[in-house]
Amino acid sequence: MVVVSTPTLTGTLALLGFAVRRDRLRLPVWLLAGGALVAVQSTSNQTIYRTPEALAAYQASAGSNAASIAFSGPPVGLDTVAGTVAFEISTPLVVLTVLMAMFTTARHTRADEESGRTELVRSAQVGRHAPVTAATLLSVLACTGMGASVAAGAALTGLPEQGSVLLGTATAGVGWVFTGVTAVCAQLTAGTRGVHGLVGGALGLSLVVRAIGDITHDGLSWASPVGWAQATHPWSADRWWPLLLPVVGTPVLMLAARHLLDRRDLGSGLLQPRPGAATAPRSLSSPLGLAWRLHRGALLAWAAGIVLLGLVYGGLAESVETLIGDNPDAQVFFPAGSTAGLVNAYLGVTLQVTALMVAGYTVSATIGARTEEAAGRAEPVLAAGVGRLRWLGSHLTVALVGATALLALDGLATGVSRAVVTGDATDLLRLTGAALGYAPAVWVVAGLAGALLGAVPAAAVPAAWIVVGGVAGITLFAESFDWPGWVTVLSPVARTPAVPAEKWAALPLLTLSALAVALLAAGLGSFRRRDLVPG
Amino acid sequence: MTAVISVSDLVKTFGRTRALDGLDLQVRAGEVHGFLGPNGSGKSTTIRVLLGLLRPTSGRVRLLGGDPWRDAVALHRRLAYVPGDVTLWPTLSGGEVIDLLSRLRGGIDRRRREQLLERFELDPRKKARTYSKGNRQKVALVAALASDVELLVLDEPTSGLDPLMEAIFQSCIREARAEGRTVLLSSHLLAEAEALCDRVSIIRLGRTVQSGTLAELRSLTRTSVTAETERAVTGLTGLPGVHGLQVADRRVRFDVDRDQLDGAVRRLVEAGLRSLVSAPPTLEELFLRQYGDVPTEAVPAGRWSS
Ligand SMILES: Nc1ncnc2c1ncn2[C@@H]1O[C@H](COP(=O)(O)OP(=O)(O)OP(=O)(O)O)[C@@H](O)[C@H]1O
Ligand SMILES: [Mg+2]
Repeated sequence: MVVVSTPTLTGTLALLGFAVRRDRLRLPVWLLAGGALVAVQSTSNQTIYRTPEALAAYQASAGSNAASIAFSGPPVGLDTVAGTVAFEISTPLVVLTVLMAMFTTARHTRADEESGRTELVRSAQVGRHAPVTAATLLSVLACTGMGASVAAGAALTGLPEQGSVLLGTATAGVGWVFTGVTAVCAQLTAGTRGVHGLVGGALGLSLVVRAIGDITHDGLSWASPVGWAQATHPWSADRWWPLLLPVVGTPVLMLAARHLLDRRDLGSGLLQPRPGAATAPRSLSSPLGLAWRLHRGALLAWAAGIVLLGLVYGGLAESVETLIGDNPDAQVFFPAGSTAGLVNAYLGVTLQVTALMVAGYTVSATIGARTEEAAGRAEPVLAAGVGRLRWLGSHLTVALVGATALLALDGLATGVSRAVVTGDATDLLRLTGAALGYAPAVWVVAGLAGALLGAVPAAAVPAAWIVVGGVAGITLFAESFDWPGWVTVLSPVARTPAVPAEKWAALPLLTLSALAVALLAAGLGSFRRRDLVPG
Repeated sequence: MTAVISVSDLVKTFGRTRALDGLDLQVRAGEVHGFLGPNGSGKSTTIRVLLGLLRPTSGRVRLLGGDPWRDAVALHRRLAYVPGDVTLWPTLSGGEVIDLLSRLRGGIDRRRREQLLERFELDPRKKARTYSKGNRQKVALVAALASDVELLVLDEPTSGLDPLMEAIFQSCIREARAEGRTVLLSSHLLAEAEALCDRVSIIRLGRTVQSGTLAELRSLTRTSVTAETERAVTGLTGLPGVHGLQVADRRVRFDVDRDQLDGAVRRLVEAGLRSLVSAPPTLEELFLRQYGDVPTEAVPAGRWSS
């Protein structure tokens, strides 16, 4: 790894020790979540696919279902229970690990720099590269720990040991790469939010590239770090050599980060900010104008990502039919003519997964209000003749309207690429309507975040993300894990009919809308009654 | 005179912390009122209660004739606030922040804005992220001073300003007073308070310990007297109101209560007064006497007589 003796690295080990101390509660939670995810998937699959018939049926359907390939990975090794575990759990594990690597690395690099802590640290006997090296070492160690936790979760629930260790190592490898990616991104922009945006975009791109590659079989998956991990084929081919890619790639990225660091000033990014306007535009005259100004960059980035995703997912729908044509086993289960249903099932899943992402957006926008409050930036606005309800309402408006617009864009983009393929323009309206059907569910998630912000301001940010994680977990796993019905009820996204896979129903949408209104009102009400709480 | 701010017996607790513990504060219309106290004594907390950002635990608070919690929005149109810790939106320029805050308050005097930018030598085009500490402070000050409001609430507004800017700030405050505005000025700079304030309130541990004009505060405390006489002074020991008497050869030093000054000086005259220095306490001394470890009863002998 890195040699800790050159002068620019002085103090790295001391900083690493300090960073470990700062994260000693956070990191174990991530690791436990990873281990638990594998253990639950493993035990549940061992029950569900106990019989050879069940396993064969699964292999035939999942192996030819574009949706499951798009969201899981290459359909290999599905003739063993362990293989199904690797197929279903590898993408969630990768996402979890990458998020951990991103938050950990950004927290100890750009966030520290933005708050001025790095300046204080660097004024001591600490080399120029020490903070970023300590942060990346911490993240690499955490990812390795995640790998160990994953391996333990799989092996302790009875899966073969070699594959367990391979799955863990492959998962850790993606984390290492994204540690490097985050370290590089942290040099580019001066704000922590910008770093999260860039890394999130890189993760999204890696997932999409891999999905296209695995469905079209054109080798594109090798362009994605996620594809590298899945190319190890745990419990089937058990290949170790693809891990050379992260092992080589990670140090390269870390060196690149250092190189960039040497080319910029402390506190700034590589991109120098241009001077701004001397006077404010007319639009910046109200709390809503301010909220729009603060959120618009993130919203536009999300819109671009969602449109791209919709176009790709819509375009891939066609390959559902090809996949079945290629697979004689599958033709037994899906006789000719039933493919329309399959395409609809696929589209239903893609729209649902995108709705979960939009729920993530709406929460990040809602807790943007809390970030403003914690940073002390709500104070001058609230002391300038703006009421509490108007201030919080402005942020909520952007979060709700923005999320609704993202859903509409998702439906439109999916519909456009579908209509181009089929030549049937009605898909456009049908899919836009289907995507917008998730609006009440997304509003409920925003409402939960708003209620948390009003009631428990100090804990609102982590609590709101736990809500998003919970909703996503329930929506994605409740069915395959056979969780009881009352659990599914807890996810507003799962309660929304997955049109076009399922039939329209007005009642759940109305109930969810009413719930959203109640939650938002509760949040606004408690925010109005409470003290402003600094962060 | 009507009270612009009237606080009595204000208590504010945060969990087990008792930040304000029966605080009183009266600010009259048209005055510059200094709000002094050591770190953590509750100045910013009081100001946040006055702005309706914190809800009082108990006590009576009136601001511009209204209830700061209930009537917050209407009252805020009539005041401008500079927070103690100015954090700005990193991606907005200084000029945009000034315009935004004044528009929210209901409008801006463009000419005054330009004048202030010029006087404070502030470049409005820079992004807030790239301002120095003092320049961030100036953004908040210009936004507040450019608004046409009755009351200015300033929480340590000059922390970070250089002496030149401090002087400009002081002249701005004098102009504000001349225009009939009221100013509540929390500060650690006693020279600043002494130069600007008509009246001051000194708080400690969330409680008001002294309040009044500087002259009043001084008259409540003792005058220090240092004198040289021809003969040894007699009769000072045991004289009521004389404290911390130190005699070194023909020189004496003591503190004396205001109403006993006359009697004490007579004794000096009787001993043949050669030189006399008598100083009212500076605000600094008042302040230190209130909270510092400076004893009020006796000055340790070694400190002066050696
Ligand atoms: N939100 C809060 N939660 C808990 N304690 C608080 C909170 N806000 C203030 N305090 C406490 O209240 C007391 C008064 O704080 P305040 O900020 O009003 O002091 P101050 O007089 O403005 O000090 P300084 O001169 O340092 O600005 C302090 O002990 C502080 O720790
Ligand atoms: Mg303060």
